[in-house]
Amino acid sequence: MEAYIRHEQQMPETTTAEQDVVFDIDALQVDYGKTTAVKDVTLQIREHAITALIGPSGCGKSTVLRCLNRMNDLVPSARIGGKIHYHGVDLYGADVDPIEVRRRIGMVFQRPNPFPKSIHDNVAYGLRILGMKDDLDGRVERALRDAALWDEVKDRLKRSALSLSGGQQQRLCIARAIAVQPDVILLDEPASALDPISTSAIEDLMHELKRDYTLVIVTHNMQQAARVAEMTAFFSLEDGCGTLIEYDVTDRIFTQPSDERTEGYVTGRFG
Amino acid sequence: MRIGFSEELAQLEASLQEEGDLVLRALRAALNALAHGDEELADEVIRFDDEVDQRYMAIETGVQSLLARQTPVAVDLRLVLAVLRINLHLERMADYCVTVAKLTKLMGDLGVSDDRISRSIEDMGQRAEQMIRVALDAFANRDPERAETLVELDELIDVANRNATEDVLSLGDSAEEREYGLRMLVVSRCVERIGDHAVDIGEQIVYLVTGEFREFSDASNPA
Repeated sequence: MEAYIRHEQQMPETTTAEQDVVFDIDALQVDYGKTTAVKDVTLQIREHAITALIGPSGCGKSTVLRCLNRMNDLVPSARIGGKIHYHGVDLYGADVDPIEVRRRIGMVFQRPNPFPKSIHDNVAYGLRILGMKDDLDGRVERALRDAALWDEVKDRLKRSALSLSGGQQQRLCIARAIAVQPDVILLDEPASALDPISTSAIEDLMHELKRDYTLVIVTHNMQQAARVAEMTAFFSLEDGCGTLIEYDVTDRIFTQPSDERTEGYVTGRFG
Repeated sequence: MRIGFSEELAQLEASLQEEGDLVLRALRAALNALAHGDEELADEVIRFDDEVDQRYMAIETGVQSLLARQTPVAVDLRLVLAVLRINLHLERMADYCVTVAKLTKLMGDLGVSDDRISRSIEDMGQRAEQMIRVALDAFANRDPERAETLVELDELIDVANRNATEDVLSLGDSAEEREYGLRMLVVSRCVERIGDHAVDIGEQIVYLVTGEFREFSDASNPA
């Protein structure tokens, strides 16, 4: 009788909570000179997910992002407190090579910044520097394909990258980042300088890329975080210092945030 | 193109179709339990409602998430709203199946049956099943014309439901027969309501395709 009505029940997709931790950030504090930019940031970033850092200007979200591949090392006055473990390894440990960190953890910036070289050489640049020269053309093609740019540029690889549109340039920068086979891609406002169609293309691309990479994105555009991210961290400025207010699955941040400051920001009532 | 959004929408719609399949299973099992006085199967129908409810909640949550994160507009917005409403109609249909199953159990000890009423209920049930299939197909195919055929199908169930009263009145006067008759009237009403919900789903399909919301028939001013 039971077999008459029972059926194979479909289980929901695996939740991000079951995925591996890529970054374990514990009590992170960043000071620039005498100014504390952010303090007491504790969160875990999970593998093959898109994590968005959102919040008003000056809340420290980009500062936190730059800590994840030691870009702040390049700022003389920056001082990092707390711990960031990357796959269990202390990212700021004495034996860690920051160059290798930046190969594994690539970055894409707000404004597309291609080198004044050919499309091909932009992607090949990092590969040559890192000695990844075998099958160079194949690697360039794969990176351009993965960045959803190949079909648009395959017939003009020798032309200057600066001849591309803004949206194409940004995808070229993503191709350049993924050519060296990173593990993580950090994106700092990757679409804020682009038109809506190019923005949509970048968002679709991020959706594809998360199968192979872990992505962390800083965005001013709250709806962009809502559209693309599985996890969202909301930062705010408290007593002049960037503070992590709430970190949760994106659904929850946008339907039932637990902190009234988050609610105020996502509903547009302040911030 | 918004790949992630499109995938989420497609998943929601697929989940809704699966919920429709669950309702069809529940209805068929409820009708069989009634026809054979099978209390074990009736219990199974009652338990099975948890699965429909889980599916209902998952779709409800999915719609909430989609509205909050993806700000759908135009046909996407209409689809999300249609899914939200159809989800509720399907869940209510499953609730009526549970009521039929509970009534089946209550009638188990009466020792009364009436072939004419039983045949009529089975006939109504088959029409209700057909209506659910038509509604789900019309939704999948975005076919408002097919959706409108639900009105005629529903009319047949409505007539059968009205006739049920006369059938019940022609039963004997014993306490058992009166109880049987009253409970079968409620069963008839449940199946009739399932048909009404199928028509409501049809209205959602017209809304989805045309953007126009209208009732197929005006209950307060019947033609």
